Amino acid sequence: MTADATSVRRWPVRPRPRPRELALLAVVAPTLLLGFATLRTQQLAAAGTDRLTLGDPIVPALYLGLLFAAHAILTLAGRQTDQVLLPAVGLLGGLGLLLMERLPPSLVVQRFGPLELGLGSLQLLWLGLALAIIAAFGVLVRSDTWLRLYKYSWAAAGIALLLAVFVLGHEVNGARLTLCLGPVCGQPSELLKVILVVFLAGYLSENRALLASRRSRLGPLGLPPLQHLLPMLATWAIALAIVIVQRDLGAALLFFAIFLALLYVATARWSDVALGLILFVAGSAALYLLLPHVRTRIDIWLDPWAQAQGAGYQTVRALYAFGRGGILGTGLGAGLPQVGDVPAIPAVHTDFAFTALAEETGYLGSLAILATYAVLVERGLRIAARSADDFRALLAAGLTLVIGIQAVIIVGGNARLIPLTGITAPFLSYGGSSLLANAVAVGLLLALSDRGVALPPPPRRPAAERLVAGLRAAGDRVERAIT
Amino acid sequence: MSAGRSPYDTAPPVAAAILRVGLALLIAFGALAVGIARWQVWEAEALTMAPDDPLVLAAQRSAPRGPIVDTRGVVLAETELVGGEARRQYRSVAAAPILGYWSPVFGTSGLERAYDAELIGLAGGSPSEALLRKFERSPYDPATLHLSIDLRLQEKAAQLLGADRGAIVAIEPATGRILALVSSPGYDASRIADPAEGPAYFATLREDPASPLLDRATQGLYVPGSVLKVATALAALDSGAVAPETIFRDQPAEERTGHVVEGFRVRDGHHPMTGDRALDLRRAIEVSCNIYFARTAVLLGGERFRAWGTAAGFDAPIPFELPTAASQLTDRPPGPNGGFRDDAELANAGYGQAQVLVTPLQMALLAAAVANDGVAMRPHLVDAVEWSDGSRRATAPEAWRRIAAPTSAAVVREAMQQAVEGRWGRAFAGAAKVPGVPTAGKSGTAELGGSGEPHSWFIGFAPVEGARIAVAVVVEHGGRGAERAVPLAGQLMAFYLGLGR
Repeated sequence: MTADATSVRRWPVRPRPRPRELALLAVVAPTLLLGFATLRTQQLAAAGTDRLTLGDPIVPALYLGLLFAAHAILTLAGRQTDQVLLPAVGLLGGLGLLLMERLPPSLVVQRFGPLELGLGSLQLLWLGLALAIIAAFGVLVRSDTWLRLYKYSWAAAGIALLLAVFVLGHEVNGARLTLCLGPVCGQPSELLKVILVVFLAGYLSENRALLASRRSRLGPLGLPPLQHLLPMLATWAIALAIVIVQRDLGAALLFFAIFLALLYVATARWSDVALGLILFVAGSAALYLLLPHVRTRIDIWLDPWAQAQGAGYQTVRALYAFGRGGILGTGLGAGLPQVGDVPAIPAVHTDFAFTALAEETGYLGSLAILATYAVLVERGLRIAARSADDFRALLAAGLTLVIGIQAVIIVGGNARLIPLTGITAPFLSYGGSSLLANAVAVGLLLALSDRGVALPPPPRRPAAERLVAGLRAAGDRVERAIT
Repeated sequence: MSAGRSPYDTAPPVAAAILRVGLALLIAFGALAVGIARWQVWEAEALTMAPDDPLVLAAQRSAPRGPIVDTRGVVLAETELVGGEARRQYRSVAAAPILGYWSPVFGTSGLERAYDAELIGLAGGSPSEALLRKFERSPYDPATLHLSIDLRLQEKAAQLLGADRGAIVAIEPATGRILALVSSPGYDASRIADPAEGPAYFATLREDPASPLLDRATQGLYVPGSVLKVATALAALDSGAVAPETIFRDQPAEERTGHVVEGFRVRDGHHPMTGDRALDLRRAIEVSCNIYFARTAVLLGGERFRAWGTAAGFDAPIPFELPTAASQLTDRPPGPNGGFRDDAELANAGYGQAQVLVTPLQMALLAAAVANDGVAMRPHLVDAVEWSDGSRRATAPEAWRRIAAPTSAAVVREAMQQAVEGRWGRAFAGAAKVPGVPTAGKSGTAELGGSGEPHSWFIGFAPVEGARIAVAVVVEHGGRGAERAVPLAGQLMAFYLGLGR
């Protein structure tokens, strides 16, 4: 062996301790363990035994093991990435796992060959994959070129995915969201939101200056050049199409909100947001008049008690669950998520996961969950604000908004602040697609938080962009001719 | 820098916009926190007590249910185990309109419904108690309901009404405590609660044309007839439209011919007694002069009459532990002339005909307010809710509405005493007199049009000063007031005052 130290190093980089992440995980782990112990004790007490026990330790042990393994991998990778994201996701995921362990396993059953997994085990499986994705992105993604350069390819892939769902999708609960490949089914709209952010970050960062300039006016609103309005109209049309074809109000609302927020970040012009809101109100009004299922949602929101045994059943039951929880909660396992074998709130494990946790952990628990989401948002936007260039800033901000806005939409829907739309609570709800897509978002954020990553070389302009540039120039000439 | 970068120099920095987006999301999270607090803090208790809350439904099947007792602690309703199954037992059929029923099949009504959460034990006493109970195995602490009802009076009232259809409300004027509340025909709540017999019995009750499930005392709407003159008198005195000494010079002459308002002829029957004397307000109440109150109502005017009625609790359900119907002076919404179509309707309303409809509870409150210097106390049935650890939530007496000035109430009080005890009044309402106790009251005969017998009415109180009981009695198709309601009320008040405190 030679004396050259670098040539014998086992790792390409030196492991770097992550003390803040470790400290936060040291708070998250006992919290979750206490939760699992309470839940087991309550379940045993309900069964007639009345002694304090940790019960079946496999599920919490596995989950916490995975969490610390992710921490270890990030430590060994030695990158200077954010140290708060993983504990925050770990806490939310753990709370979700607690809920899934608490609900009857028969709510969702999936068979993998001889193996039959219930709700809690499946969620653990998906959480494991999600943590793996976060760790892998946090270690491996060292360049954003693959996202930056191929934004139109990503957009094409996203639209293809959307069309695939339109054509091949299965209808579940009146919404056409699910796409099945063999035995594995997923909801592509979850991944689509990440793709949308990638495309928007690329498009907006490139055209920021042009979008921010003003050349035409419509009444009090300054409009961006006409050809730059097209993306807004296109996004609006896609959102409407999602509502009409897929009947997925939540995804449509989320997409349009992300688009408006990113547009504002790019142009810092309130008039763009105002224009978007006008489009939103007009679209909503038209949908309300045209589509019965949209009208039902709005009517339930305005007065769920008017049809408490009909369409408003779910919402009324959710409000009762909030009420039962009160300030301190019923205690884990002591709430009432089911009456007999029927869930007290339909879709409690997906759309109403937040409500179920709010019942058992009380208003204080609700605040804690909201605060954890707020922490995620704060970290993500901090990463965005410190980014080296516009693309990364927009990408990081967009990925953060995916999680933040989705949380606001579903929690607001649960608490009847806005009409209920069927989307998941990030990291709390059951669902593989949702967990994996959100994990991709957090994993990318983690990678983007490493300021040591160099900016890519000035991009070559791919053919597609040259084509667009040509079209844009043609558009400019047409507009000049008109004005 | 290349030329291609130059447009970027003019674009605003993203960091500031990101900060603003972050602030907007922060505000959204704050709004969520406030919105959730609405359900988990402010409205949590009301939500938890909703009768269709699954927790309430589940608890009803399994949890014990607290007893309901009368003012002396006599058990009115309790839960017994019959063959390992909780069954609600009701000790008095007479109390059915108050207690309602509890049935695993048909749900709840009456106080069983209004105090469901307390009886199951979901609504705790103090917050610290509720917190401590979270650590116990059973989260339920069934409470005992202490009612203001005296079962002896309740059963006496039901017995006096007998098989007749009608209602009786007895109230303690100074506190608003309901002493008895009877609706006839009633039903046997124990039979509804019986899972074997319940369905058939309940179906019979539902189809019975006499509507035994309807609580006539709180939800029955009746034409009041002359008992409403008490209201007209209070409204006219309060507004100054008439004074106690006011007389109408044409009134004696009109007794023979009738008083014509817009083509409608108001008639009277007391002229053989009063002859050519012009009556003042007290005398008009004593002999129940229709013409006097028809003219008073027109003098008062629709607007002021309607406004007084609304202030006295008409036009809206009375806040009470049981569901109540809204009494009305006219069937039309407020408008010109208070919503009265014309002076003919107004004149007829002045003596309790036309479109006037009242609940017995509203009339009992009217009598109680006259006895209580013009203040109607908020009526209540539950004196206290008591938990197993001895903690209590008592109902404090509370003024509900001032419906007349003390001076107006005093004038009407004297007049109502004359109506029972006076030389002329004795002929109408003398049978209401409690022997040895100054008694006040007003009888009524509610003409229904057509051929049916009129409703027989009485409202009154005793003793006149410091009244301990005020009553409203209506007997459907019971004939003239004096025939049925007046003696019934006299016996009831005498019975209660004879019980001792």
